[in-house]
Amino acid sequence: MIDRDVFTRLLSRALRYGGDYADIFCERRRSYAFRLQDGHIHDGATSIVQGVGIRVVVGESAGYAYSDDLSTEALMRAAEAASLIARNAPARANGSIDLTTAIVVPLYDQSRKDHAPAARYVDLLERADRSARAYDPRIVAVNAHVSDELQDVWIATSDGRFAHDHRPMITLGVQAVASSRGERGSGYAADGGRTAVEYFDAHSPEELGSDAARIATTNLDAEPAPAGEMEMVVGAGGGGVLLHEAVGHGLESDFNRRGTSLYSGRVGERVASELVTIYDDGNLPEERGSIAIDDEGVPGQHKVLVERGVLRGYMQDTLNARLMGAMPTGSGRRQSYRFLPQPRMCNTYMPSGEGTPEEIIASTKRGLYAKSFAGGQVEISKGDFVFMVAEGYLIENGKVTAPVKNATIVGNGPDAMTKVVAVGNDARLARRHYTCGKGGQHVPVGVGMPTVKISSITVGGTADDE
Amino acid sequence: MTNDDAIEIAARAVDLAIGAGAQNAQATFSVSQRFHVEARDATVSKLERSAGSNVHLRLWKDGRRVAVSSSDLNSQHLRAAIVGALDQLRYVAQDPFAGPPDEFGRFAGDLSLVDPAVSSRDDAERIEDVLALERAIRAADPRIVNSSGSHYSDAVSTIGLASSNDFRGAYTATRASRSTAPLAEESGSKRTAHYGTAGCFMRDLEDPAVVGAVAARRAVEMFGARKPPTMRAPVIFERDVAAAVLDDVFSAVAASNVAVGNSWLAERIGERVGSELVTIIDDGTLPGRLGSAPFDGEGIATRRTPVFESGVLRTFLYDTYYARKLGARTTGNSAGGGIGANNFYLEPGRGSLAELIGSTRRGVLVLDTIGFATEHATGTYSRGARGFMIENGELAYPIDEFTVAGDFAEMLSGVDGVASDLRFDSTTVAPSFRVAEMTISGN
Repeated sequence: MIDRDVFTRLLSRALRYGGDYADIFCERRRSYAFRLQDGHIHDGATSIVQGVGIRVVVGESAGYAYSDDLSTEALMRAAEAASLIARNAPARANGSIDLTTAIVVPLYDQSRKDHAPAARYVDLLERADRSARAYDPRIVAVNAHVSDELQDVWIATSDGRFAHDHRPMITLGVQAVASSRGERGSGYAADGGRTAVEYFDAHSPEELGSDAARIATTNLDAEPAPAGEMEMVVGAGGGGVLLHEAVGHGLESDFNRRGTSLYSGRVGERVASELVTIYDDGNLPEERGSIAIDDEGVPGQHKVLVERGVLRGYMQDTLNARLMGAMPTGSGRRQSYRFLPQPRMCNTYMPSGEGTPEEIIASTKRGLYAKSFAGGQVEISKGDFVFMVAEGYLIENGKVTAPVKNATIVGNGPDAMTKVVAVGNDARLARRHYTCGKGGQHVPVGVGMPTVKISSITVGGTADDE
Repeated sequence: MTNDDAIEIAARAVDLAIGAGAQNAQATFSVSQRFHVEARDATVSKLERSAGSNVHLRLWKDGRRVAVSSSDLNSQHLRAAIVGALDQLRYVAQDPFAGPPDEFGRFAGDLSLVDPAVSSRDDAERIEDVLALERAIRAADPRIVNSSGSHYSDAVSTIGLASSNDFRGAYTATRASRSTAPLAEESGSKRTAHYGTAGCFMRDLEDPAVVGAVAARRAVEMFGARKPPTMRAPVIFERDVAAAVLDDVFSAVAASNVAVGNSWLAERIGERVGSELVTIIDDGTLPGRLGSAPFDGEGIATRRTPVFESGVLRTFLYDTYYARKLGARTTGNSAGGGIGANNFYLEPGRGSLAELIGSTRRGVLVLDTIGFATEHATGTYSRGARGFMIENGELAYPIDEFTVAGDFAEMLSGVDGVASDLRFDSTTVAPSFRVAEMTISGN
């Protein structure tokens, strides 16, 4: 999209006052989407996000400017604006920059240059809709969306790296609303990943539709969740949101370099029960959180965050890695060219342990079975988190019993991780639809987990205690 | 960029769309000059300055609708995107309600949305703002030893709107904000807090010293926090948290949610849903406010719309499409693709937050929440929270790691106290208010 020669001139201009490092992030992203409402295709949308972000780093400071005008003059103005951060920095000689193209190992299909014919997407929506409605006569509304996106990124750095990645992303989501005798229940299911419309040949839209309808009708029949402390069994797959919130964010290097995370300076220390091992992996083929290279041009990696309860390392972008004397881990990500990169998670998951899910549930006297979470949030410095349970049931005397709705879990990261008392042998990744927000930037991520039991957690329901 | 330039770019996009075969088209062109500086201690850690623009097109043909959004304004590229979208349109179902508005308008009064003092600030002044915030949090308490950063940002934005059926309009607005997030440390434990201020005009912003002092106090006052008992009790939502609750109320009155079964308020127009104290207004015509504009996202004049009056739900908030679909008239709430708030606020009451606390025998003051568990279809609310336990009208001790949960219908009907501390630092705002009884889950 931009000549190599222009990249080198921009980097030189960006470093004209000095600075330790400069990089350019150039992006073109096309997305193609349809929405379904009331059984009909409601509308379609095409969007193009295109622009260039230029960064200059001096010590722990970053100057940044972006432009969606790709003319060389406009880009030079952006490089100039970014360079101002270094105006008072000690001048340093910057030799000429020689860009070498990095070899990027493909993690997803590189061949598709355009979306599929419209009829393919429309078919997915209509099949999901029919399946949700057929599931139960109490389903009164189905809303579904599909989007297919192709993002090209080109990254050039002052230390000579030049890398390109071509990233597909498809998402199909179905929301079902059930209603009966004045009560309402809602359910959502979605899937996709860094793949294309053919993914849904093997992962049927009918299954997503019926899952959304099943959750909606289950919630319709559900009682309000109990309130207070109890045991919790977290379901395999989507339960991985727990790791993302309770531990993952606290291990991002910006918080740790600044000393604002409760995990700051604690590498090598015990931070969880020894049953707990947590990985973050940018290298899993076609997963939603995977990146062949991150948004700073560093290859995605498999990282050990916690191993048998011991903190092993942080997720690093280039700026924080350099300041901490560490290696970047391919964790520098951004929402678009309009944002500075941040250290972020990719696919965060816990490998299998030894128990069976049945044993874990049977060992629970009174508790909550949180089969999946709708999302969560964490406060970094103390580690308090919340999760919203999307599908939950009571466990009474070792058996899963009545569905409960509107449960919110509140806890503290290290405290909850110390209370992990059982890890199942059924680890799997969740369906691919999670998006993580941090500092106003949203990026796609993946989560995964086996069935896990936590000995005590606070459930924030509304039911009166018995 | 002048307003006329913005109209011109929008009008050219409309011409491209009509030339490519659309029967009707509307284009919104937006351009912003943005500045942001972040500091930690005495170091400027981020300095960002950019100009960003985008064109958003709505196209109609044969009762079908598609949208195109692009930051690439090259007319050949834009034309290709439009052609692709018109191919998409063939797959969209015919909808008798789809189409541009039949009539347009704009609010005639002076909205004064531009503060020249914002665009004329030089970098040194803006940087001094954040350094002052960093000094203020550290001066407030010796336990403030670090921060997640202090921020100042401003923007000058111009919006131009053109419609194939004869609407042309544009306006410019400024905004500025400052905020800080101190970190306090005491015997190895860390506490953070966040406080900020924003407005169209520099003079509406709280001073750095005030912002820093409030944020610092909120960080240190949480030391020694414990879980409250699990109980049913009165809950006071402090102003910033109250505004977040009102965001959820907005979602429930947005006609786009009502129409698809995603609102607990569906079919309740005319009913008394809230207590006498619940009067909620949407008003796009308040001078100098962040949610004000002469016309909405599709060229409809903004206005003042009472949504709840003394607890009675009067109307939902509509754009043209959902007004037609639900048999109502638009309220000027188009966000150019969805439904958006203008200035959406809960009418303030008489007393202060302190008086509200003083009149609470035993309850909870919520100062901050995490999570976003609102089930709009069913109207249930649940958040992780921190704040204070109130005993005999006084703040007894700090509390955290608990949830506050309830049903929206019960929450609105249970509002038994509203303070006077409303401020317009966002488009959806509220004064502090008290709900008679909610569920607290702690120990």
